[in-house]
Amino acid sequence: MEILTTTGLCKTYGIGETKVEALKDVTFSVSKGEFVSIVGPSGSGKSTLLNMLGALDFPTSGNVFIDGRDIFTMNEEELSVFRRRNIGFIFQAYNLVPELNVEENITLPLLLDYKKPDQQYIDEIVDILGLADRKHHLPNQLSGGQQQRVAIGRALSARPAIILADEPTGNLDSKNSKDVINLLKLSVDRYNQTLIMITHNHNYASFADRVLNVEDGIVTELGGAVR
Amino acid sequence: MKDYLALAPQYLAAHKKKTRLTILSVVISVALITGVFSMLDALLQFEKIQVIHDYGNYHIAVKDATDEEMQAIGGRIDVKNTGRWKTLGEANINGMTCALGALDENFTENLNIEVIQGKYPTGQNEIMLEKWAAESIQLNLKVGDTVNIAVADGTRREYTVTGIYNDLGNMKAQGIPGVFLSMDDAELMPAQQNVYLIEFKGEADMIKARQQIQTSLNIPEDRIGRNDRLLAVIGQSDYKAAVGIYQIGGILFFIVLLAGVVMIYNTFNISVMERVRHFGLLRCIGASPAQIKKIVKREGLTITLKAIPLGVLLGMIMTFVCCALLKFYNTSLFGDIQLFYISTIGIIAGIVVGFMTVFIASLLPAKKAAQVSPVNAVTGSNDIKVSKNKKRGLLTKMFPVEIALGMNNAIMKKKTLFWMSCSIAISIIMFMGFNVFVDFMHAGLKTNKPYTPDITLTSKQGISEELSARAAGIDGVKKVYGRMFGYVDATFDAARLSDAYKESMGGIEATEGGLFTPSASSWLISYEENQLNWAKDKLMAGELSEDKMNTQNGIIAVAANASNGRNANLQLGDKVYVRTPSGTKEFTVMGILNSVPFQDNKQNLTTFITTEKIFTELTGKTLYDALDIQLSSKNQEQTVAAIKGMMDSSINFLDSRQKNAEIDQTFLTMAIFIYGFVAVIALISILNIISTMNTSVASKTKYLGVMRAVGMSGKQLNKMVLIEAITYGLTGCLAGCILGVILQKQLIENLLTSFHIIWKFPVGQIVLILIFTIFVTALSVISPLKRIKAKGISEVIGAL
Repeated sequence: MEILTTTGLCKTYGIGETKVEALKDVTFSVSKGEFVSIVGPSGSGKSTLLNMLGALDFPTSGNVFIDGRDIFTMNEEELSVFRRRNIGFIFQAYNLVPELNVEENITLPLLLDYKKPDQQYIDEIVDILGLADRKHHLPNQLSGGQQQRVAIGRALSARPAIILADEPTGNLDSKNSKDVINLLKLSVDRYNQTLIMITHNHNYASFADRVLNVEDGIVTELGGAVR
Repeated sequence: MKDYLALAPQYLAAHKKKTRLTILSVVISVALITGVFSMLDALLQFEKIQVIHDYGNYHIAVKDATDEEMQAIGGRIDVKNTGRWKTLGEANINGMTCALGALDENFTENLNIEVIQGKYPTGQNEIMLEKWAAESIQLNLKVGDTVNIAVADGTRREYTVTGIYNDLGNMKAQGIPGVFLSMDDAELMPAQQNVYLIEFKGEADMIKARQQIQTSLNIPEDRIGRNDRLLAVIGQSDYKAAVGIYQIGGILFFIVLLAGVVMIYNTFNISVMERVRHFGLLRCIGASPAQIKKIVKREGLTITLKAIPLGVLLGMIMTFVCCALLKFYNTSLFGDIQLFYISTIGIIAGIVVGFMTVFIASLLPAKKAAQVSPVNAVTGSNDIKVSKNKKRGLLTKMFPVEIALGMNNAIMKKKTLFWMSCSIAISIIMFMGFNVFVDFMHAGLKTNKPYTPDITLTSKQGISEELSARAAGIDGVKKVYGRMFGYVDATFDAARLSDAYKESMGGIEATEGGLFTPSASSWLISYEENQLNWAKDKLMAGELSEDKMNTQNGIIAVAANASNGRNANLQLGDKVYVRTPSGTKEFTVMGILNSVPFQDNKQNLTTFITTEKIFTELTGKTLYDALDIQLSSKNQEQTVAAIKGMMDSSINFLDSRQKNAEIDQTFLTMAIFIYGFVAVIALISILNIISTMNTSVASKTKYLGVMRAVGMSGKQLNKMVLIEAITYGLTGCLAGCILGVILQKQLIENLLTSFHIIWKFPVGQIVLILIFTIFVTALSVISPLKRIKAKGISEVIGAL
């Protein structure tokens, strides 16, 4: 079952002389439960692509369907609801809410949806992520690796259709990076989540079911590890 | 870039929006200080002219000065002008009562006496008359005419009119003209009052000069008079009330200065705090703490150089508006003051304070910026100090998440919360402090009331209803209302008599039914519909209904019922028994008035007000003692001529228009500036809230972007930011109102006691402040929020 499909996605910045084509006619699809990594040199358009998939930015032309819905036909209000229910973000710079403690940060998407968090599920995530004794800490009392694990928790908490991670290990040392990747992989398998992750590290890319390569705004399939 | 300090202006140029906000807040503070100080300066200039017009241009007066004393004082180097002023009592001029006086010719201008026709009386048997009197039907005199004047002791003399001078509002309203004799003639007559008026030179130290005069000539205090208002306006008064006002002024202007500092500091604090990373990065690439400090200070300087001229200009414009209003309203009096009044004091204050505060305000954040650890920049962790008690996440469990987040954001950053609240609170304190001046103005200055008549007709024989109706029918007459005055014997429950009264009577014996035998008659006044309506302002209890009083035998009691205080303390429903030729009648007290705008010189027991119908029933009187007329503003002279045309000679025509206009002017001169102050401060406070909220929202661009990425909807975002802003607003309000109330109470109770102003809890002001703060706060987050939402999320998150 295809959870995500893009058709003819184009993004152009500027006009005339300064025109830059960040994405050129990108078409691909991702099935439910797949772990897709995106690789490519700096400035190739990886982040632009991921922003489009998460509806953080709008394409010049083309469509993105998530769970069968054309996300760019929604208005801002519908989009925000869609985002908190269907998309989990993991950023390179963690971007946790500094005033909220670990537990609150993790449950934030649910709280925003006025839902009562399923405490058992949340506790389970917190346990898996190794944050059980950090539940009431604030982000600035945590190490980088711990902060990124909180971000993973936040992305998982609403059981979204798809998780988008933009270089989640970019700020971490190799041990922490490995932990984070393992956790991501674990959660994808355990909760049958779909994950699309940008990475620079080809080692980590190989964890994925499929690898997409972006170069000069063109996306090509590289194939991946056999499941 | 030749020098690392060039980074400062470059940073500012790169962040135009933020820079503009910072500049705005400095502009606001400088405008506040320049505006308030220039307005104070202008107020004193205008008020000096107004006071000289109202009270005369002299500083002190010596009673019954001897020739020696006059010579000694007149010869002093710091004395500009002196003159003798004698009042000679009332006299009768061709059957009309007049007030005789004499003044040295060189001092006429100081007392605003202006000869319109002829010349000032200098020789024997010469007089000068007020214009309105000379033109009145009773006198009808021209320069060169002769007239008979009978003085109090009965002697009659013939005088020649040599001059006619300008109308004096007060004399005109009383219908008693002022008549000037020559000083030589006056010397021969017994004087009621004989004062020697002294005008000092502008630069003289008047308090010291007065003391010198008193000690060297051995003049006791009771022979010295002061023109207190003039001395107060030029800052030369040691009079208690004036000193109280000086102190209030001092305190309030200190608060204004403080407000300027707090506002600027708050903005700088926010702008530096949000740039922890920026400074950390600079530290990473090798900037020393001292260099960071220098950069922050350079930024401050760059901002000041742009903001101060704008702020000064804005402050001056506010002053111009006040000056222009006054000049437009009263061209003759303020014609000499230039329209664009430029106050050096105000401008200097604005510039100095602007520079100083930016310097101080940037010093602390600069220090903080210098302390930013390079690590913070790399890890990107914001430095928030959290209390050791870890947050249990209580708020998110109690409230919907966006509300919890908004409150959390505000409460967690204690320093920001403190300064934001301070900035709002000080505006409120300022506003409430300056409102003391409004109270002072209303209590300290006379104002015209809705019932103030333009023309009053009085007659000993009485004025008929028919004449009243005819007057009402004249074109240009707005309202006509008559009053009857009379005395009745009234008695009531003896327990209602005040202790002081019982004591002064040597005890009152209650007769049967608890009543008493009245020692004096009570004053009875009749009111018709208009006057009953106007009296509602003074109503303490009950109601004022003509119909009910007529049908249910009602009567209105007056609380301040006797000239020497309160003789009785009547309550609603009390029975009052009035003796009439046809027996005793019973009345019920239906309303209680605080006071009436008339005075009687008889020692009455109490004062009562009734309807015309009941008044006639009680006294048999049907004719009015006084008929008040209000005119519409057009063609007044025609209307006045028509009224005069229908009067016979038994009726006195009292014209209060000039006096009313003068009272209005005196009040307005003060009111424009006082309300100007309050308006400027309110405006500045509002701008301050808008600018701080703007800055605060703008500084959270990235944070808000993350929230949107995680799935916060536009509505939730609005709510969160609004709640945060309102939290700042409310804490500021709370602190401001509490401190403001304390300040008001202290100022009024300690410094304004001599004006009999009573401190009341300012409920109205607080409600107004609350509504305004919340409204403005809500309004001020709308535009920055819109701006942020218009940006793409990816754009915002990516931004540093």
